[in-house]
Amino acid sequence: MVFSYGWLQSFFQKKLPKPEKLAEVLTMSFAEIEKVKKEREDFVLDIDVKPSRASDCLSHLGIVREIAAITKLQYKEPLSKFKAVKELKSKNFVSVDIRCQQACPRYTIKIIVDVKVCPSPKWLKHRLKVCGLKPINNIVDIANYAMLETGQPLHAFDFDKIKGRKIIVRKAKKGEEITTFDEKSYCLDQDILIIADAKKPIAIAGIKGGKETGIDKNTKTVVLESANFNQGIIRKGSRKLNLKTDAATRFEQGIDPNLTEFAINRACYLIQKISKGKIAHGLADIYPKKALPKRIRLDLDYVERLLGIKIPEREIKSILEKLRFKLKTQNLKLLDVEIPTFRLDISLQEDLIEEIARIYGYEKIKPVFPIVSLIPFKRNLEIFWEGRAKDILEQARFSEVYNYSFISKGDAKNFGGKINKLIEIENPSSIEHRYLRPSLIPNLLKNIQKNQKLYFETFKTHRVLKSETFKTLRILKSKEIKIFELGKIFQAPKLEKRTLSGVMTGDAFYQVKGVIDLLLSKLGISNIQYCEHRTVERGLKSCWWQPPKCAEIKINGEQIGFLGEVSFRVLSDLKIELKTIVFDIDFEKLVRFCSEEKTYQPISRYPSAIRDIAVLVPKRIKVNEVLNKINAVKGQRGLIKDVDLFDVYEGRNIPNNKKNFAFHIIYQAENKTLSSKEIDDAHQKIVKALEERKGWEVRK
Amino acid sequence: MTGVCAQSFIMNKENKENKENKENKEFDITVPGNKIALGHLHPLTQTKKRVEEIFQTMGFSIVEGPDMETEWYNFDALNIPKNHPARDLWDTFYLKNGLLLRTHTSPVQIRYLEKNNLPLRIIVPGNVFRREATNASHEFQLFQIEGLMVDKKISVANLKAIVGEFFRRFFEKDVKFRLKPDYFPFTEPSFDIGISCLVCRERGCPACKGSGWMEVAGAGMVHPNVFKNSGLIPKDWQGWAFGFGLERLTMLKYKINDIRLFRSGDLKFLQQF
Repeated sequence: MVFSYGWLQSFFQKKLPKPEKLAEVLTMSFAEIEKVKKEREDFVLDIDVKPSRASDCLSHLGIVREIAAITKLQYKEPLSKFKAVKELKSKNFVSVDIRCQQACPRYTIKIIVDVKVCPSPKWLKHRLKVCGLKPINNIVDIANYAMLETGQPLHAFDFDKIKGRKIIVRKAKKGEEITTFDEKSYCLDQDILIIADAKKPIAIAGIKGGKETGIDKNTKTVVLESANFNQGIIRKGSRKLNLKTDAATRFEQGIDPNLTEFAINRACYLIQKISKGKIAHGLADIYPKKALPKRIRLDLDYVERLLGIKIPEREIKSILEKLRFKLKTQNLKLLDVEIPTFRLDISLQEDLIEEIARIYGYEKIKPVFPIVSLIPFKRNLEIFWEGRAKDILEQARFSEVYNYSFISKGDAKNFGGKINKLIEIENPSSIEHRYLRPSLIPNLLKNIQKNQKLYFETFKTHRVLKSETFKTLRILKSKEIKIFELGKIFQAPKLEKRTLSGVMTGDAFYQVKGVIDLLLSKLGISNIQYCEHRTVERGLKSCWWQPPKCAEIKINGEQIGFLGEVSFRVLSDLKIELKTIVFDIDFEKLVRFCSEEKTYQPISRYPSAIRDIAVLVPKRIKVNEVLNKINAVKGQRGLIKDVDLFDVYEGRNIPNNKKNFAFHIIYQAENKTLSSKEIDDAHQKIVKALEERKGWEVRK
Repeated sequence: MTGVCAQSFIMNKENKENKENKENKEFDITVPGNKIALGHLHPLTQTKKRVEEIFQTMGFSIVEGPDMETEWYNFDALNIPKNHPARDLWDTFYLKNGLLLRTHTSPVQIRYLEKNNLPLRIIVPGNVFRREATNASHEFQLFQIEGLMVDKKISVANLKAIVGEFFRRFFEKDVKFRLKPDYFPFTEPSFDIGISCLVCRERGCPACKGSGWMEVAGAGMVHPNVFKNSGLIPKDWQGWAFGFGLERLTMLKYKINDIRLFRSGDLKFLQQF
């Protein structure tokens, strides 16, 4: 809210600090001043009053009390004494009927007769304008002025336009309508509190006044209303009508009901002074349950314990008194504090301690390290393995991305996910972010789409330099896009799960498979299997993949994820022009298998020997079958250290329906140097074993 | 290929005797070094790791909580009742499954206090969501780190010591900081923590809007109702909590000028870290 520096100054006899200085002082002890702006001879302070202080500080008087407490300057309460005309009684003009007590704790009315409605004096107009309000006429302006000064919204009705001399505070009936003074019509219903006369609504209570009963230049008699409305009801009404006003803002944060009287008197004082009206005697005041001040017992030891600093008792008392708290010393260490009713935010000792500390100055509290028992931190394994996995992928030259946790409906469809498995946002900020992501992959592919031009740019520049083909290749390779993300995915109804996914461009199935091997083995996991991904069972999901380049990743037979090439359909939908391989791992499952254990394998002191073997097999045979056959032999003899596939060939010089696998077989024993006869024998056993299979042929 | 490589690696006799001198003379050391492709960890991962290390050395455990929360943990338990204007401080994404996306990591305070023995020291890293318009300094998804320390006699002075230590270590500079009054329903008193501007050293510059200070975190003493809502007796315990956006700290550390870069997936950005 904006405040006038000149207005604030008018409460003090002594000069206030300069506007900038005052802003700083208030920022450090009360609330942030967002801006100080010069406005003709005045300055405007834009103060970010927090909801906790809205009840008393959306008013100049509230800020004045703060300034007085912080700067220790004396201020004067604004004048509110006027002369009433004894013969006229406010009560005799209209009858007030409160139909819902709970919605309207207090309703106060004052009658002013023989008013002269005309433009306000210059000084008043100026103050309203500085605070962002438009001057209308002296009566309305004074009501607004009193609100800006005291925080209590007021409303003025033209007495002669109120039908049946009746004011009723009630809920609106469905279908009732009102046109407010700014010519806008609102349809009302039973959630909206209104002020009505004998016939119809004349104001939306606490929010805005109606046009028909408004003050105009012919108004002679004014009904001035100063009421207190329930904050929840005003909040609800203001939302429902989508109508935010200065009055509604104040009521919905809660206001002290004791304020109505002071505010109405202050307004009457000004009306008498400015528009020469005659003020009727007494108030029509319906206030069945008076708000009484709370009392809090403050333990001075606790003040010291919570703040970590000893503030002299004298100082504590002086601060509280400056803030208008009333004190009674109970004994040496206890203070009984009476809370003025305008401080709706204070209800606990801690609230008082905040008051003391902020005025005393937070900067005076010196840092002190806590003295506590030496409890070591608990290791969080989930976070530890997350860090490890990220480091390994970084070493494997992947770059990490963070994507939003949202996807659009289009993305969801693209990836064949079932919409009913998705969690939808009730109030999305854009259609791009309508669902929580059910997988990390859609956003990762979008990253590829966005970054692929980087790849093509390099490709183009280097193709020009034909002589440097080798270099081009090398650079291209380094420009492969390899990215990963470790984050949460979401599934209806209420599941969230940590997942690790990565994407690599190029014809890179085996490279990605190698990365998975590396990742898992570095996380201490052995016994990894890759199984054919049964796309048929997966139903819709199958259209993601380009069969047969997809596999399930299993540890000890339990599926933890999959890898595969993304289908051309998905890629072309996303306008990705590069082949793309994806992996996706359930990180929570994975963590259960991770282990830091490692055992050193003694290095044999005896030399190793390498023999190659090439085997021609029917095309449908998988390398695994051949390896299994070789390994079965190894089991018998214990001489084979390793078997290493180094070539797969089909095509020229080989029968149509066959392919050729070539392996290095490394022979080594733990306890002796192998003779060439021993090696030859072992090798022959392998050859024999392989040739046992029909259609397999070892090439010699 | 193997053959070609082998030849260039292995020194043969000819290399050794005849070419050595000549080659050395012609060798051009000004040819740029080969570009080595590297992987990159996200800048937020790097700063998160640093933050976690600093707090772990001070005995804080790392704890996490769900991104999808109930209204109870995200608001009510944190002393933010329904229909209270204070709820307007957080623009919230609501989900059709009856949950909401947490607007802060503070719900984990309650979750942890409910289930664990006191005293305790924890930090809570995680995603938070605010339904806000985005610009260079606002995002609707952020990474927040929450801190909570509860013991018998934990004070504002203690908060200042730990926070100061953290900033000095994180920025590796003698960063000044200050507390200003602020309002959070779940702490009392509540503070806004500002650090001396890293760009201008308090002289005032565009980065700090001329004030010489930058707001980086919110903090305060745990509100008695938070203890109560966690099933504890408020008068037995004292504690403080703080929360800051990791993006903001990372931006200050690396002088990043647009918060949207973090989730842009742009490799030209990511590969600088």
